[in-house]
Amino acid sequence: MDFFHAHQAQHYLVLGAILFALGAAGVVLRRNAIIILMSIELMLNAVNLTFLAFSRFPLVASSPTGSFLSGHAAVFFVIATASAEAAVGLAIIIAVFRSRTSLNVDEFDTLKL
Amino acid sequence: MEVAWLHLLPLLPLIGAAVCGLVGKWLPKGWVYAVALGSVLLSFLVGLRAFAGLGEGVQLFHQVAFNWFSAGPLRVDMAFTLDRLSGALTLVVTGVGFLIHVYSVGYMDEDPGYWRYFAYLNLFIAAMMTLILGDNLVAMFVGWEGVGLCSYLLIGFWFTDEEKAYAGRKAFIVNRIGDFGFLIGIFILFRQTGTVNIAQVNGAALPLGVASLAALCLFTGAVGKSAQIPLYVWLPDAMAGPTPVSALIHAATMVTAGVYMVARLSPLYVSAPGVLALVATIGALTALVAGLIATSQNDIKKVLAYSTVSQLGYMFIGVGVGAFFAGTQHLVTHAFFKACLFLCAGAVMHGLHGEQDLQRMGGLRKYMPSTHATFLIATIAITGILPISGFFSKDEILAQALHTRAFNFLTLTPASGIHLTFLGPAIYLVGSFTAFLTSFYMWRCYFLAFSGEYRGPESVHPHESPPVMTLPLWILAALSVLGLVLALPPSWVHGTALERWNWEHFTEGVFARPRGGSPEEFSALPGFGIALLVGWAGWAASYALYFKRGLAGDEVLTARAGAVRRALANKLYVDEFYGRVVVRPLWGLARGLWRIVDATIIDGLFVNGIPALIAWVGALARRFQNGDVQRYAAVTALGVAALLYVFLVRGG
Repeated sequence: MDFFHAHQAQHYLVLGAILFALGAAGVVLRRNAIIILMSIELMLNAVNLTFLAFSRFPLVASSPTGSFLSGHAAVFFVIATASAEAAVGLAIIIAVFRSRTSLNVDEFDTLKL
Repeated sequence: MEVAWLHLLPLLPLIGAAVCGLVGKWLPKGWVYAVALGSVLLSFLVGLRAFAGLGEGVQLFHQVAFNWFSAGPLRVDMAFTLDRLSGALTLVVTGVGFLIHVYSVGYMDEDPGYWRYFAYLNLFIAAMMTLILGDNLVAMFVGWEGVGLCSYLLIGFWFTDEEKAYAGRKAFIVNRIGDFGFLIGIFILFRQTGTVNIAQVNGAALPLGVASLAALCLFTGAVGKSAQIPLYVWLPDAMAGPTPVSALIHAATMVTAGVYMVARLSPLYVSAPGVLALVATIGALTALVAGLIATSQNDIKKVLAYSTVSQLGYMFIGVGVGAFFAGTQHLVTHAFFKACLFLCAGAVMHGLHGEQDLQRMGGLRKYMPSTHATFLIATIAITGILPISGFFSKDEILAQALHTRAFNFLTLTPASGIHLTFLGPAIYLVGSFTAFLTSFYMWRCYFLAFSGEYRGPESVHPHESPPVMTLPLWILAALSVLGLVLALPPSWVHGTALERWNWEHFTEGVFARPRGGSPEEFSALPGFGIALLVGWAGWAASYALYFKRGLAGDEVLTARAGAVRRALANKLYVDEFYGRVVVRPLWGLARGLWRIVDATIIDGLFVNGIPALIAWVGALARRFQNGDVQRYAAVTALGVAALLYVFLVRGG
């Protein structure tokens, strides 16, 4: 069965991988701190998609715990963590902006000290 | 006999040294003199008491002061032995030492460092006592190094003068070369016999090879300390020290330590006849060379210094031909007249405001009657033109050399004999010629300094020294005359009251006899006749050249043999030769070690190289920590991607 007719996890996994790569590229390449935060969200959601894909199309016949809902559970944790992360991240960005009047991460290299 | 007071001999001067050296600066001058002189005088009295106690029943006094250290089979005690030899030398060292202390009171009175001077002088007496009395080689070595230290301190006493400080260092370093041999000798003897005790070492029967090696190593030490070829170069330079020091250390006592050591270890040396031959040969060569150089020196102290080297050569001839009593006998008589000569030279310098150059003396007989008279007596004693002490002790050595049988059995194995029968007569000839030289240069010195007219600058008015300096001169001059009692041939005094003072009789049983046996009975008279002739010949040559002409006498010699005289005046260029052959290469080596090993390898490669490497690695690593979080993230992502590729695609 080729890739385009497969009713399996492949499509979701490929989409997840593309989204993850896009997010990673955004984190590495973009200079605006808010965009970087948004890219991180994108990566997290790519991971969520992967979780769900494996939850829907498990690789083994039966789960040792009786169901495959643990993937869904993991996604909820990720969403909760991501929202907390976004809150903290935005707070940091605001604080940084107040002191440096800039959101360009190239200017923030004090970690090397 | 075990006693409990021998340690006083070195201890009293040591206390004196401590007092003078530590608090002397703040004590009144008189107190320093009292402590310094008193401690040596007390030591002398203890020595006298001990000496008087030696009799038929008592061969020696012995004391173990304390156990210094023990390690395995090695046991080293601070222990002292006073037998006839060391007892007599104790008296010489403390007695002559005391006289020189007295003299120094006058000589050093105006020097601000007098307290330091007397501390060193006392320390020297203490070290010399340890050297003489030490009953084991290690204790002896302690004294040996102690006197070397004092010698260094006193040569460089006026250390602000760079040249004098240099002379001190030279003496110390040249002595170190010899001391290295001395130490190796001790190690060999300890390894072979398991003890460092002198009596036990002497009693051990050692194989010829080992005995020779040990004796040779120890003799290296003696060559350094007693200024023999090839290590004599430090002694003439040692004259940079105060003149009483030259008299005490560099003429009468310390420099004779090598002779004493060989005599003390006489059983070891007679079991190594090859080394004995070497000792005698080196002694003869040194006597000759130093005598030659002395004829062309113009510094009164240098003349006396080379004379000392030459006379030490005689002593080594004495011990080298197996006549240990003759060598030590000359040691004692030489201590008297050479100390007297040096102190006279000091008195001359004192009266001429430090002038040492014979060319600017002359006619001092008028100005310094006591100094003149005592110098004359001591000169007669050393040249042997009248039969007083030096005549007998020197000619005993020469006679023993002529008749010696010590070289008849230079056996490598007892079966195959090597006979060096020509060596004794050859040494006799060299020694007799040296006696002529001795007479010549001593009378030259006498004529140039004391007869004729005063040649020095008008501004200097020669004057006699104070009684505190002339009194020791007279005592030493008297001893130079009375020393003849020691040195008379034993057959002359046999059965008379003088016999117990005769050195050969007195030291009977102290020394070992050479393997070839002692010389057969010989008549001393022909030898004495020749010696007297030789002495007078030297006097006559000197008189003809210098008495009328004064300094012009040198010009007569220069006209006849200018090149020889120039070479002799320049001390045969030995210092220059050593400079080229030893010092410069060592300098080069040291410079190379400094530049290559120290500066390049240790400093460059290790001390600075390792931090530089770390700094370089750090600079490289610093590129990665640029504070740019995005770059970190990119690198992390790439790393994870690489790991995933390895583990998932390549199947890990």
